[in-house]
Amino acid sequence: MNPFAIATPDSHAAAQKMLVGRSYKLPVLKGAGIDLVDHLKEGLAEPDLLIDVRRVRDASRKDAVSAEGSGLRIEANATLAELVDSSLVKERCPVVGQAVANAATPSVRNVATAAGNLLQRPRCWYYRNSQFDCLKKGGATCFSVEGENKYHAIFGQGPCHIVHPSNLAPALMVANATVHLIGGNRKSLPIADLFHMPDKGVTSEHSLEPGEVITHITLDAAAKSGFASVKEKQSFDWPLAFACAALSLNGDTIKSATVCAGAVAPVPWMLPEVGAALSGVKITDDTAIQKAAAASITGAKAMTDNAYKLKLLPVVVMRAVLKAAGRDPGGL
Amino acid sequence: MPIADSIPTDLPTTNRPINAGASMNDNASRLDGVAKVTGAAKYGRDVFPANGLFVAFVRCPWGVGELTSHDKDAAAAVPGVIEVEVNKKDGTYHGATAGYVAAESHQALQRGLRALNCKWKRKAAKTRLEDEIGEAPPVGEAAAAILKDAELKLEAVYSTEVQTHSSLETHGVSIDHKGDSAVVYASTQGTFSVRDGLDDAIGLKRSQYEVVCEYIGGGFGSKLNGAGKEGTTAAKLASKYKRPVYLFCNRAEEHLDTGNRPGSRTRVSMAFKKDGTILGGEVRTWGSVGPNKGGGGCNIPGGRYNLGEVKKEHEDVSLNAGMPRAFRAPGHPQGSFAEELMLDEIALACGLDPLEMRMKLIKAGDIKEMAELGAKLIGWDKRAKTGSQTGVVRRGFGMGVTSWGRFPAKTDAEVVINQDGSVEARTGTQDIGTGQRTMVSIVTADTLGVPLEAVSVRIGHSNLPEGPGSGGSVTTVNSAPAMMAAANDAKAKLLDAVAKRVNAKPEELEIKGGVVMKGGDKVLAWKDACAALGNAVVGKGENTQQTVQADKTKGNSNGAQFVDLSVDTQTGVIKVNRIVAIQSCGRVVARKMAESQIIGGVIQGVSYALFENRLLDRVTGAMVNPNLEWYKIAGPCDMPHIEPVLWTKGATGPRSLGEPPTIPTSGAIACAVLNAIGSPVRSLPLTPDKVLAALEKGRPA
Repeated sequence: MNPFAIATPDSHAAAQKMLVGRSYKLPVLKGAGIDLVDHLKEGLAEPDLLIDVRRVRDASRKDAVSAEGSGLRIEANATLAELVDSSLVKERCPVVGQAVANAATPSVRNVATAAGNLLQRPRCWYYRNSQFDCLKKGGATCFSVEGENKYHAIFGQGPCHIVHPSNLAPALMVANATVHLIGGNRKSLPIADLFHMPDKGVTSEHSLEPGEVITHITLDAAAKSGFASVKEKQSFDWPLAFACAALSLNGDTIKSATVCAGAVAPVPWMLPEVGAALSGVKITDDTAIQKAAAASITGAKAMTDNAYKLKLLPVVVMRAVLKAAGRDPGGL
Repeated sequence: MPIADSIPTDLPTTNRPINAGASMNDNASRLDGVAKVTGAAKYGRDVFPANGLFVAFVRCPWGVGELTSHDKDAAAAVPGVIEVEVNKKDGTYHGATAGYVAAESHQALQRGLRALNCKWKRKAAKTRLEDEIGEAPPVGEAAAAILKDAELKLEAVYSTEVQTHSSLETHGVSIDHKGDSAVVYASTQGTFSVRDGLDDAIGLKRSQYEVVCEYIGGGFGSKLNGAGKEGTTAAKLASKYKRPVYLFCNRAEEHLDTGNRPGSRTRVSMAFKKDGTILGGEVRTWGSVGPNKGGGGCNIPGGRYNLGEVKKEHEDVSLNAGMPRAFRAPGHPQGSFAEELMLDEIALACGLDPLEMRMKLIKAGDIKEMAELGAKLIGWDKRAKTGSQTGVVRRGFGMGVTSWGRFPAKTDAEVVINQDGSVEARTGTQDIGTGQRTMVSIVTADTLGVPLEAVSVRIGHSNLPEGPGSGGSVTTVNSAPAMMAAANDAKAKLLDAVAKRVNAKPEELEIKGGVVMKGGDKVLAWKDACAALGNAVVGKGENTQQTVQADKTKGNSNGAQFVDLSVDTQTGVIKVNRIVAIQSCGRVVARKMAESQIIGGVIQGVSYALFENRLLDRVTGAMVNPNLEWYKIAGPCDMPHIEPVLWTKGATGPRSLGEPPTIPTSGAIACAVLNAIGSPVRSLPLTPDKVLAALEKGRPA
């Protein structure tokens, strides 16, 4: 690890100025630093300046989460624990709290930030190990194709087969969220446009321009929403597959449904076929919901060691929908 | 009263005071518990002597690698780098050492390693046991004859993956070398074997250096290798520069190159009758080892069941991977997994309850008694017939048995009684984590007849009386009698002195609750008795190979474990609800420590059964999960409620307790999964993908 400086700006504007300033060659923003410290230790990143924005928040915003119209506003530095505990989140968009409650550990959630969770780098074991000169690090090979891919993607054409690591992102996708920015030409970005597939640039998973800083996130209410995941370990593990669902109901009939999957693709993976199949289905109709969930693997293609994800995805989709509908999703 | 009758089975199972009255001291908590959780306890890895050098190994990054270039001059030119040594061009596993760098600071060391810029050419590596076994030979003639006319047969292959010890405190030493003397702070299971191993390397006489191991952050067998290459490399550099040296592995190195439990394949070809009588057959095992053969044993048959005439064949299979080392009951958990699941498959084929069938096969009488008790405690009567459940979540019950021998190890001990009444109990053996300090303290206080607080304990120093390495579950077995003998010797010397003063014969005196008594009357308070001593008295005790072997009443440590779990049949996730672990342990010194041993063994077994897997990249031979993120170890939410039962029946001395409780857990879990879902998962770890595949495949023909 090389020496680096730490700056503690008091506003996003000040942080943004440091990012584009010329005195440091490789300045990076630091939220809680969970992912960043991993990178420093493994020698994957060698910034000469960490701009610590963990405590930076718009002066007018006391709370991590606040009401914004009928929806919500989440500050960039809201901790995952604050999202889990927020009564506004529970009331207006429960899927957000459920998704992040399932991530990491209590001690990580106490410091990890919303923006950091969205922008964290993938956990692919080839990417994380400096001795593998993989595509993400400017190399010529995705080692997972011929190698070990049990936890890799079942969607996407490559050339890189990571799964996106954020639990929060798919939850925000079903709540039609918007990411608010300073420092560039754009003031905001739909959450779906924050991420891109590897064929649109493999060395980064997000589409922020250099110098752009996330200040906060806004989202629509999704009172009928739910999350379900499968993990090998129930303590501190990454999901094998998970799903977020938001329903619009007319009585006990689904008017419309938005479903997004995680841990199955290089980006939060929207499942429009599932949403379409759920339209008009009664929330008590198990057979129809199961049939709709089965559509989740449309277009999926297993690698050598992850065909089991094709079985898991319909299960987590079905359970997320049942949970969104207020029903017992079953299972352990 | 038989112990089985003394334990209530009709109460709620949580927090039942199962083991009250089972030990010499039911209430003592671990003496160094607070020091450990507050950080006051200093482990070897915590010791950073002033002016020390930091050393790390240069290592091969691939399964097979050839070092084609490196830049020694650039590394040596990094400010703070003291020495660069590259002494090998070929590596035959990921993590194989090829030299080292020594530097003034950890940072300079890392920069030096990077500046060395080693370029390794990657070559084809052997990474999978199943790929290297080749075509398995047919069943041998003797077994074929048994199988030929059998009513029923089972042919199955069971497999386990490599488990790394994953000690939280990694392997290494911190040597405080002062020129003409040194203190070696080691993380070891063998304080004295580290001392012996450093003779040449450290360049000092044994009288000039001391090995200290006050605490160990996990060893499980991997720290029985004497000084190891970490110790000898550090010692040579300390001797050369006459300076302190710090050399501890990082997390990746700990996974790669400090030992492991080998993976296994077990092919069983067994003949049996419809009534569950097993006639015999053949068991052929393969163990995955490192580039050199050795250490791949898989202990099946475990000798605990009557399995008829079984022909056993074994072969070590070389992989380009880190080598095995002893790991908590070496060879046993992998063998027990195969054996227990095999028995449940045979019971299923016969339509028998696997507990009933085992009752006819179990050899040891006390294991049968334990099995009866365990069945009551787990609620075996709630066990549904295998394959009969149809819900999403299905419940399963399973069991397994265990046994362990009692091994002698020479141990010396001393008890010092000072004139101020303070007592020091001294024996050099380290505390691998079992509670050695607490055990020594209780035995000494109990023997002397003084309160626990009167005794201070010194262990884990090579200048103390010599004791064994912590391997084979020998520590308490051998050091408790030595400690007791030393305390008795010191007591006799004290009472001799007191007797002269109070005009009594020594044999008329006894010490109770810190008071010298004669015929039930108080003679002197402990403090006054000690004040009469001219010099402090030193009592000496020993335990020899002969004393252990001569005592036929102290035999095996047997046990039985029962599992209650649930399986989510849509996701393949297993939730272990409860485990009852009954373990014979002879005379228990400290209840909480003993229970903790059993609980710890079960936890390690649960983790082995469900998660642990050293995964080698099939292309490069590199371990892809040399961390605690993707090398998965059970966490708090994965823990069942564990109920340890101390089976103290009919035993007079301490027995082995470290290893036996981890043997049967994985097999019992696998049996419970079979019971829940109706088809066997014959491969550890029992991950959701394998459970789903077994569900799809259904019951074997």
